[in-house]
Amino acid sequence: MRNPILLFFSLFQPIIFLVLFTQLFGRFAQVPGFPAESYLLFATPGIVLQNSFASAFQSGIAMVDDLKSGYLEKMLVTQVSRPAIFLGRIATDIVRTIIQSLIILVLAFMMGASPVTGVPGLLLMLLTISLFGVAWSGISISLGLKTKNAETVFGIGGFLTFPLLFMSTALTPANFMPDWMQTVSQLNPISYTVDALRVVMLTGFDLGTIFTAFAVVGSIGVLTLGAAVYQFRKIIG
Amino acid sequence: MEIVKVSDLTKEYPDGTKAIQGISFSVEEGEFFGFLGPNGAGKSTTIKILTTLLHKTSGSVAVGGHDIVADSKVVRKMIGVQSQDIVVDEDLTGRENLILQGHLQQVYGKALEDRVNELLRIVGLEEVAEKRAAYYSGGMKKRLDLASSLVHNPKVLFLDEPTTGLDPQSRASIWSYLQKLNKEGGITIFLTTQYMEEADKLCHKLSIIDHGQIVAQGTPAQLKQEIGADAISLTLENSDSTYNGGREMAKKALGKLKGISSIIDSDNGLTVYAKNGGYMIPDIVRALDEANIRPSSLSLSTPTLDDVFLKHTGRHIRPEELRKDASAGRMLGRRRR
Repeated sequence: MRNPILLFFSLFQPIIFLVLFTQLFGRFAQVPGFPAESYLLFATPGIVLQNSFASAFQSGIAMVDDLKSGYLEKMLVTQVSRPAIFLGRIATDIVRTIIQSLIILVLAFMMGASPVTGVPGLLLMLLTISLFGVAWSGISISLGLKTKNAETVFGIGGFLTFPLLFMSTALTPANFMPDWMQTVSQLNPISYTVDALRVVMLTGFDLGTIFTAFAVVGSIGVLTLGAAVYQFRKIIG
Repeated sequence: MEIVKVSDLTKEYPDGTKAIQGISFSVEEGEFFGFLGPNGAGKSTTIKILTTLLHKTSGSVAVGGHDIVADSKVVRKMIGVQSQDIVVDEDLTGRENLILQGHLQQVYGKALEDRVNELLRIVGLEEVAEKRAAYYSGGMKKRLDLASSLVHNPKVLFLDEPTTGLDPQSRASIWSYLQKLNKEGGITIFLTTQYMEEADKLCHKLSIIDHGQIVAQGTPAQLKQEIGADAISLTLENSDSTYNGGREMAKKALGKLKGISSIIDSDNGLTVYAKNGGYMIPDIVRALDEANIRPSSLSLSTPTLDDVFLKHTGRHIRPEELRKDASAGRMLGRRRR
């Protein structure tokens, strides 16, 4: 934690989002058919997820850093097992994501949004978010190992973030979207994940929704981590 | 005992580049062994294969009697590796860097504490141990990195161009640390370098490598003795005759002289070897003059490892940086005109 500036700013962005979005779209909640009491309650899960998405792209960038600086090689010639080097990268990112998510959720709580399911719900949300983070880390790590270029990872991350985020139910309810976008959002894995967070936040432990989210995130995770492991082995071969 | 044994090693990259083309050599325990060659000769590829970072295409490599593929874990325990880049965590202090590396190498507690203190003393970083590495000079970072590769008491230390990019003073201090480690610590050192002075000064035994092949092997003294004569370098670039024609004419003229043991083409002229070089110079100048050739420079030297390289490859070893400096200088000159 010798880089307080980085820590501060990586946390600052989701907080800004939380404050700005809830102010900007606050009146959505007054429109008939809006599924939550306040926009804050509705959007908090989406903003937490957006943060986790952005955070996941840090993994790939960090991997490129390790690769380029020679730090990865330095670790590879030590007695540390190779799976541990790979898992260490991901574990670091999970811890960071959990801390960031917790801060956002606490802030949202102070602004008046608390999950109806209480502390168990909060824990389930954090678990869902970390799994989501791991799954997307896989993509950024694969990209990082494949391209060996931080700008490319950063660019692809930025390119994916907004379309995927806005064409999902993260920040807007499905019934507020044009028809074509509703279709897109139904295919968007972010929607499934955010829906699970949202039921935990707003209604209760709806096992069907939660299970679907875990299935979707799990399948993505298997694919992306598989790809990442494949690229990793290619690099260390 | 042979601590490193390499037989018929080859490496072909997926793009078809044959980086290593069947090399064999062995390093004795306690030896200071060097790989000397120009950039792109295959030195880094070899060191990466030997340190389990890269898969070989064929051949066999054993470190301490253990196969590097089948027993890679045992091998990693025995080796310390210093890559060409300086890898230290600048956010951590010198001491913290070594402790972190110790944990990666599964050294803990009092044993680690003692080892870290010892290493800080060996590389002369005791006084700055509590300062963050970001404030270290390049030479200090290199020494810290060197210390971190030694934290687990390896039997063999692999160094990939340990002084490339360092200033002469840092270079000299790294040399003396390495010699101390080898002599007093009894650690076997395998080093790659593109500097012949470095190989000459440090190494007990050398392999000279070019285009993925070993072109000569032996002690520095043996290799130089092989030349068996002084070297007289002639630059013909700016002679009156055209360059290649000039070179052929010069060869013909000099070939008639008695006392010359061999004549080899070099990058911009010829290198003439003769038992008694100083005595031969007037004869050489006279012979060239008769053939109407004016060399733009002429110099006499006792044989160096560069002459050994030249004899086997027809080229000089030119360290990358020096070449860059030279071209920068030329560009400046051109601009001034």
